[in-house]
Amino acid sequence: MKKYWKDIESKKSKEQERRMEKTPEENPLLELFKSNTIDLPASRRDFLKLCGFGLAATAFSSCQSKISKAVPYVIAPPEITPGEAVFYASSYINGNDYCSIIVKTRDGRPIKIEGNPDSGITQGRTSARVQASVLDLYDGGRFHGPMKTGISAGWESIDTEIISKLQKIVEDKGTIVLLTPTVFSPSTKSVIAGFLQKFKGSEWIQYDAISYSAMLEANKTSFGRQVIPDYRFDKADLIVSIGADFLGTWLSPVEYTKQFSSGRDPEHNMNRLIQIESNLSLTGSNADNRIQIKPSQEPAILLNIYKEILKSVENRHIDVPASPVDITEITKKLLSMPGKSIVISGSNVKQVQLIVNDINRLLENIGKTIQFDSYLRTHAALDSNMDMLIGKMKKGAVNALLVYNVNPAYTWYNRNAFTEGLKKVGLTVSLSGTPDETNSLVQYICPDHHYLESWNDAEAKKEHFSLMQPVINQIFDTRQMADTMLKWSGSTMSYYDFIKDYWGGNMMKRQSEYTDPVTFFDRTLQKGIFEPAVAPKVSVEKPGKSASLPFDSILKKTGNNSGKNIIEIVFYETVALGEGRQANNPWLQELPDPVTKICWDNYASVSPAFAKDYNLNDGDFLKLGEVEAPVHIQPGQAYGTIGIALGYGRLKCGKVGDKVGTDVWTMLSSESGNIVYTTKLDQIVKTGRTYIFAQTQTHHSMEGRAFVREAGLTEFRNNPAAGNELHAYNLEHNKSLYKERKYPHHHWGMAIDLSKCTGCANCVIACQAENNVPVVGRVEVQRVHEMHWLRIDRYYTGEEDNPEVVFQPVLCQHCQNAPCENVCPVAATSHSSEGLNQMIYNRCFGTRYCNNNCPYKVRRFNWFNFSGAGTLAGNLRDKEGMTGNLRRMVLNPDVTIRAQGVIEKCSFCVQRIQAAKLKAKYENRALHENEIQTACSQSCPANAIVFGDMNDLKSELSRLINSGRRYNLLEELFTMPSVNYLTKIKNKIL
Amino acid sequence: MRKYFPVVKIKYLLSLIFFSLLMATVLSDSLQATNTNKIQPKDTTRIQVKDTTKVHGKDSLNLPVKDSISHVSSDSTIYKRTIFSSEDLRRGERLFFGLVYLGDKSVNCADCHNTRVSDTLNWNPDALEISRKYLEKSSLDLRKVLLKPAGPKMKQVHKGFQLGAEDIVLIKAYMNKFAGIGLKQNKPVITNLLLLIVASILFLLSSIDVVIRKIYKDQRINWAILTVTGIFITWILAINAIAFGRAKGYAPAQPIKFSHAVHAGQNKTDCNYCHYTARTSKTAGIPAGSICLNCHFLVRNGTRSGATEIAKVLKALDDKKPVKWVRIYKLPDFVFFSHEQHVSAGKITCDACHGNVKEMNRLYQVPDLSMGWCIDCHKTRKVNLSNEYYKTYYSDLYDSLKAGKIDSVRVTGIGGRDCGKCHY
Repeated sequence: MKKYWKDIESKKSKEQERRMEKTPEENPLLELFKSNTIDLPASRRDFLKLCGFGLAATAFSSCQSKISKAVPYVIAPPEITPGEAVFYASSYINGNDYCSIIVKTRDGRPIKIEGNPDSGITQGRTSARVQASVLDLYDGGRFHGPMKTGISAGWESIDTEIISKLQKIVEDKGTIVLLTPTVFSPSTKSVIAGFLQKFKGSEWIQYDAISYSAMLEANKTSFGRQVIPDYRFDKADLIVSIGADFLGTWLSPVEYTKQFSSGRDPEHNMNRLIQIESNLSLTGSNADNRIQIKPSQEPAILLNIYKEILKSVENRHIDVPASPVDITEITKKLLSMPGKSIVISGSNVKQVQLIVNDINRLLENIGKTIQFDSYLRTHAALDSNMDMLIGKMKKGAVNALLVYNVNPAYTWYNRNAFTEGLKKVGLTVSLSGTPDETNSLVQYICPDHHYLESWNDAEAKKEHFSLMQPVINQIFDTRQMADTMLKWSGSTMSYYDFIKDYWGGNMMKRQSEYTDPVTFFDRTLQKGIFEPAVAPKVSVEKPGKSASLPFDSILKKTGNNSGKNIIEIVFYETVALGEGRQANNPWLQELPDPVTKICWDNYASVSPAFAKDYNLNDGDFLKLGEVEAPVHIQPGQAYGTIGIALGYGRLKCGKVGDKVGTDVWTMLSSESGNIVYTTKLDQIVKTGRTYIFAQTQTHHSMEGRAFVREAGLTEFRNNPAAGNELHAYNLEHNKSLYKERKYPHHHWGMAIDLSKCTGCANCVIACQAENNVPVVGRVEVQRVHEMHWLRIDRYYTGEEDNPEVVFQPVLCQHCQNAPCENVCPVAATSHSSEGLNQMIYNRCFGTRYCNNNCPYKVRRFNWFNFSGAGTLAGNLRDKEGMTGNLRRMVLNPDVTIRAQGVIEKCSFCVQRIQAAKLKAKYENRALHENEIQTACSQSCPANAIVFGDMNDLKSELSRLINSGRRYNLLEELFTMPSVNYLTKIKNKIL
Repeated sequence: MRKYFPVVKIKYLLSLIFFSLLMATVLSDSLQATNTNKIQPKDTTRIQVKDTTKVHGKDSLNLPVKDSISHVSSDSTIYKRTIFSSEDLRRGERLFFGLVYLGDKSVNCADCHNTRVSDTLNWNPDALEISRKYLEKSSLDLRKVLLKPAGPKMKQVHKGFQLGAEDIVLIKAYMNKFAGIGLKQNKPVITNLLLLIVASILFLLSSIDVVIRKIYKDQRINWAILTVTGIFITWILAINAIAFGRAKGYAPAQPIKFSHAVHAGQNKTDCNYCHYTARTSKTAGIPAGSICLNCHFLVRNGTRSGATEIAKVLKALDDKKPVKWVRIYKLPDFVFFSHEQHVSAGKITCDACHGNVKEMNRLYQVPDLSMGWCIDCHKTRKVNLSNEYYKTYYSDLYDSLKAGKIDSVRVTGIGGRDCGKCHY
């Protein structure tokens, strides 16, 4: 039995822990009475006053019931039935992020995002960011209308002013520059082309904050195509990733997670993932083998792999420095499966990507696991263009700058150069919809719609088209960017008509099903996607055998990494926030990082050994160059490296995200035209300040019990119950005094495949959106008051400095012998005839006995009025503005809003169960297969969560439950959960 | 004995009051009960009242209506009058309530136009409604509608009014005043609260006597008082506690005098015609203005209310402002009741919960909407298992029902008592 541990703290000796618990200062209860933790300093008199007031208020408020009004529509809209949800297919586009989605609307307001199963890219799955994007719509901090120098103005006056100014610039032969992120909407591209044509001498520059420009350049050199290829992780048996977090943030993580997990089926096919990296990323956490390196060692490792492969395939020999890690086994495996592997690198250095390309070529992966037929179009920006633009701006050679949805004043490594250059630009206009650092510096603001209010189309991958449609009328006085561009170009057409025309002209001919463009457009809109059956074959220029790679420059880089005192910093995106676009989204801010489990912050991750050597403790502030950040001791971080997340420390994004974490963009640098996401430091200085993280997982230790069970693939192939021997033992030895209950009709259950789960946290946000889970804020998370119904536990195994990681989503287990039910004095939690553990909020009066008695700790208590449902004003805890009228529009009307003082927990999305059963009854039929999906299972990109009726013996759930890998959490307690776990099978290189 | 005489006397006095009050309430309750049961007849009597005026009008055909109109030019100064003494206002009020004889008869406006809050449906617009409507119009407009109304119904009723220019101005002045006052609430009858207070005092006095003072050697009187008042106090507390927050019988006045009796009863409109979402959605839905227009596009005059009430619907549509109905049936937010489940899947008729709506002029809440009421029905209602859904998942019950092993399956038998069916 392996020993699992959750963090450094739990590895400390028990005595020490107990001693700490006894110190009164550490008692969280006492914190309640400290004046600084509660907004009002309360005295005994205040307490008595409050008691009196509370009593009076309850007495009076209940004496008379409020007269409520029933206000119908004046003219009933045909598409809306009050009380029924309407679904619209659409697309999520936010910068480079793309997802094909279905939007659930209730009474005309979008409340939930679901994946579009027809999409060939995301296949009905989503990410946490996509799930949370619906909340951005209801952000009162968005621009409320057009503005001129910070003062509200009308669209007409602004339009005339800008058009005349633009025309003047054209007459004077000046330069107009349009700066956008990578645009992958064909119609928008066409609109921009029209704009560029109308205003002669204008330029269009695309800029991505997280750059893949080295890859684009390298692909141009290697394959003659400046594109990101279509990676097919589902076709690869071996994936070697060097610093590319493709399950978390790299390029198209939803698509890649789906592909990757399709190859994590121990019964059938099992791929192998080898991750070589510095930070412990989400991908690294899921790797079968993980090797820690400093970022500067990356070229040397790649070169050594290259050398071996070259020797074997082409029998050529090159001189390279010795590899810092042993790569012979990796190379051997790579060579053993030609055309069935993928080698990728997250580096933004062209030479590195060139080597990667050549390795893949030699391994015959091009055209098999790395295809160019439907290449990825979401990332196409080159950093050098941005460099060029800033150079021009500084010279005063740019007369007008139109910024759309990019934020270089925050994300550009040399932001001062940008802001200085901006001062020399005569006309500055922002077309972004949300406030940010860049548009706080411009003259005109012409705000864009939120994507849920917009018409658009997208071609995220070649020949994979999708449409975006508005699901709500615009909330503020905004106008879509493309509409604005059309207007300025002198067109009287609306963008909607433009798209229809464009599709009639360009897309019609790609299909033969419909002959009428209107029908074609409408049907496509209904489906959301349009993927013409046969994609035209894209030829790839195959480079000659002797690729002339610039080894010298690569070797130079590998040279100076030997100094042990040199500390290397690695910058990365977090799964939740990415480059910081959605920083004003409380759901994402409160989403614990999958690996560190810290929310509401970024931090400098260091390895435990490093922390010991430099005498660092968790929460110590470090001075790293010009920025300060608190230390987080992260097992698995490479020694001598510090990992720190980009996208935090924003100053102009809104109430929620401002001043959260540390801004480190300025620490980036540029090398031969590409931004480098690493840097080196000679020394680090402790500032003496300390800090407490809002961390959701430090509170309970695993105490040596087998929560997570795992086995190797070979063991599993020999014995399907490998690693799960306890299950048989428990089955045999567990006895109950209670009579076993039968659930003859339905028995809802769930299976979570730990082999597939990557811990991406999509389910956490999906659950939050579906079930009106409140946001509590950083201080309350520090006090262990977070409310997520579904949490993902992360355990480490093995050595402290080189751990393996396992993820385990934990939600209410819906036990058949539920310990919570026995102790409730008012029967507020009970068992249903369909095997659900029900929680009745209106019956609960908050003794928290159930919480105390639940061995899984999945019950959450409303310590304060987080939701706004309470009646006493003083108890509202809503720092993030989640109870404002606009934000509340996101609430799901099918789920009760819980008031202060009651317990809540996962309900297995009983509202969905009820709705699906009713639909079946209405249509006089049995339930379809997989008709009932919980919010978490529905959008899981890894397909790790399966929900269903355990009585249905033909279902996928039953198949999983009957597998030898099935076990229950804490089954020795004989709680008989309805949630089943499947052991994690790893495919390690022995 | 003599020393305590006053206390004893008070006690007997209080007992007397208590029992007389009790008798009075019981009697008035039973009277009220008979009244409320006969809402329909009450309405017809009102209509009959109007009819008599009609007949009355016919008798006085000789009244010179035309003459009064010819006075317009000479009376124009009177109509422009804006300042009124309190004396004038009082005369206006007397005119309105028909206390002043004009010619050989008096006209009581309040006969048809309520000045008090009414708990039954009076088809005519109440005094407040017309007062508000004419607040911004001139006395001349009022004169026109009083003496020469456009609608056929009002033509009949208002026939033969003998109102001079001054009278009309004074009535208008009183109506302006009334618009500010509003409808009078009916005085509450003897409340249970008063009874409760008296009973409590009695209870206290008697218990003091039993425990401490012992004025009477024969304590049987005290025990009798204790028993009666004790039962009464417990009963009244229990009744009120159970009814707490419930609204059985709630019948608020609606912004439009919409009668379900006319629409669903006399005209036999199907409930699902207007409340069409009841079959497919959680909510039965308050019909949109556009649905009213399906019929009222053509039907512009009601037989009783004339054009006034229908005009409100049309106005709402013209102004694009929805009618704000007062909601009657309202469940707490933590209850998820689905009409679709009950109407479409369960095949429950509307009247099972909403009562005989077809006979309600003014809609009122029939059940108390308590959880006990829900559960009682779930316990007794038989389920029709012929749906394919039940045949698939409840095959055991379906088969035994078919085989005659069980005679019926109640809602509770298929999970109708699970908390999570309604609360989540």
